[in-house]
Amino acid sequence: MAHGVTAVLVDDHPVVRAGVAHWLSTADVELVASGEEPEVAWTGPGATADVVVLDLHLAGGTPATAELRRLVEDGRRVIVYSMRSDDEIALLCLEIGALSYLTKAEGADHLVQAVKAAARGQSYTPPALAGALAGDRSETRPALSPRETEVLVEWFQSESKEFVAQRLNITLSTVNSHLERIRVKYAAIGRQAPTKAALVARAIQDGLIGLDDL
Amino acid sequence: MTDHAVSVMTRQVLLVVVFAIQLVLTLPSLVAHSQGPAAWLAYGLLAAVLAILAAHVATGTRTPAYLAVAPLAASVLATAALPAGASFGPADWAFGLVGWYLLLVLVERPAALVVALSAHICFSIAWFVHAGNGDVGTAGVVILSGTSFQVGVLVITRVLHRDARLAAEAAAEHDAARAREELARQREQDLKAGFEGQLGALLPLLADLADEQVSVADQATRLRCSVAAVQLRRLFAENDDVPDPLLHELTACVDVAERRGVVVSLAVSGTATSVPTEVRRELVAPMAQALAAANGRAKVSLLRTADEVRVAVVADAPETLPPPGRPVAVTVETSVHSGLVRSEARWRTA
Repeated sequence: MAHGVTAVLVDDHPVVRAGVAHWLSTADVELVASGEEPEVAWTGPGATADVVVLDLHLAGGTPATAELRRLVEDGRRVIVYSMRSDDEIALLCLEIGALSYLTKAEGADHLVQAVKAAARGQSYTPPALAGALAGDRSETRPALSPRETEVLVEWFQSESKEFVAQRLNITLSTVNSHLERIRVKYAAIGRQAPTKAALVARAIQDGLIGLDDL
Repeated sequence: MTDHAVSVMTRQVLLVVVFAIQLVLTLPSLVAHSQGPAAWLAYGLLAAVLAILAAHVATGTRTPAYLAVAPLAASVLATAALPAGASFGPADWAFGLVGWYLLLVLVERPAALVVALSAHICFSIAWFVHAGNGDVGTAGVVILSGTSFQVGVLVITRVLHRDARLAAEAAAEHDAARAREELARQREQDLKAGFEGQLGALLPLLADLADEQVSVADQATRLRCSVAAVQLRRLFAENDDVPDPLLHELTACVDVAERRGVVVSLAVSGTATSVPTEVRRELVAPMAQALAAANGRAKVSLLRTADEVRVAVVADAPETLPPPGRPVAVTVETSVHSGLVRSEARWRTA
């Protein structure tokens, strides 16, 4: 499944582009295009890449949420890659329809897993994003079960799914499905986006979540 | 004496003075020189005003300024009722009395009092001039003596008021200084007590080292030193004036561990909430203990949800330390899984 995944990277720092290209190449992901302008994701080989990795803080300074929205509305699978760990912006990006929000402090492993999950149309929740979801106090936040909240918090605290699984005495795949369910619940709220709709539809099809849970 | 006490006392004294003048000085004069119903009407009007004023003084309420109209009306009535040439003479019972009334009604309003008194005097003089054949010398003496006495009383009350205000200000300033002094003393005492309490782990360690009962060559002693260092650093951070004290204290502990070569990552989620100092101590302590024992890597996290504050640490730490003291406000949970120590302190905000 992982073989043949293509990605395009929008980031204004050459060193980040080089680093990400290297990380992805070691994980069988082909970086077909990269550049400092969002156009690279709309033209040439970048236009058909499976996954878009978008730096939220391009040279302009203001978060590129408008770019994110354009890409998501076009049905693209986007991972937001940001320098800043900002809960509010992370939640906003999920609301727009990003499949993951990663900070640059989080290493290669998280990026590779996020890209592979996004290529399958699935979400990926790295620890910092789990923290943002656990600390979400917005009125519109979905209701999480106590178990889901505990998985979210433990994952944020330990950064190790094996550790979470041991702690809560569940299997690794149960940890993952809890995280996926949480993201599906989040995808079901707020504005519509093709990626979010696909996330929900898939989860219901796979029996991961029932309509009653949404 | 306060400003208020001065004005209460002034009005009480003036009330007695006015009552005495009306009953003892003016009533015989009115009776002796029969002047017709208008004069008696004026006298009755003044008596009514006196009753109202007495009520105000008794209840301690402020006299309304418009009440000054009544003595002025009485002045007009009584002066107009005088026989020709009797103004300022023995038959003119009202001139001095009306002045005292005006003083009593308007003693708190010096400007209005001067205006009302002037109006009263001007009318009396005008009537005196209009009637003719009066003794100008007697009139001058009566006007000057009566008015200067009343103005003198006014000046004295203003001086008393000013002195009372100055005294009250000085007293308030003195009280504030005392309170500040007391607070500073209390604060210093708290700080001292806090330090003594928090230094618990450090003082026995220093004593043991000084007595050569323990050696830094021992792993156990090095661990105690490490714990003391983190505690001390946290204690220094405790009184810093920063927007997010809890995060500040966590960062201070992380800093000490990093200096020892531990690779620590710190993750923060949720917005800052106010946490009392005692609770902060208890929230940070388990994490500080674990960081002091950590060898390789550690992950410290601070999570603030709508109803909870959670401080957790997951660290490579073979040694597990007993928690320092028994937490009161927070719940602490420590466990070991696959060689990693996890310790979490939770505090419910609501």
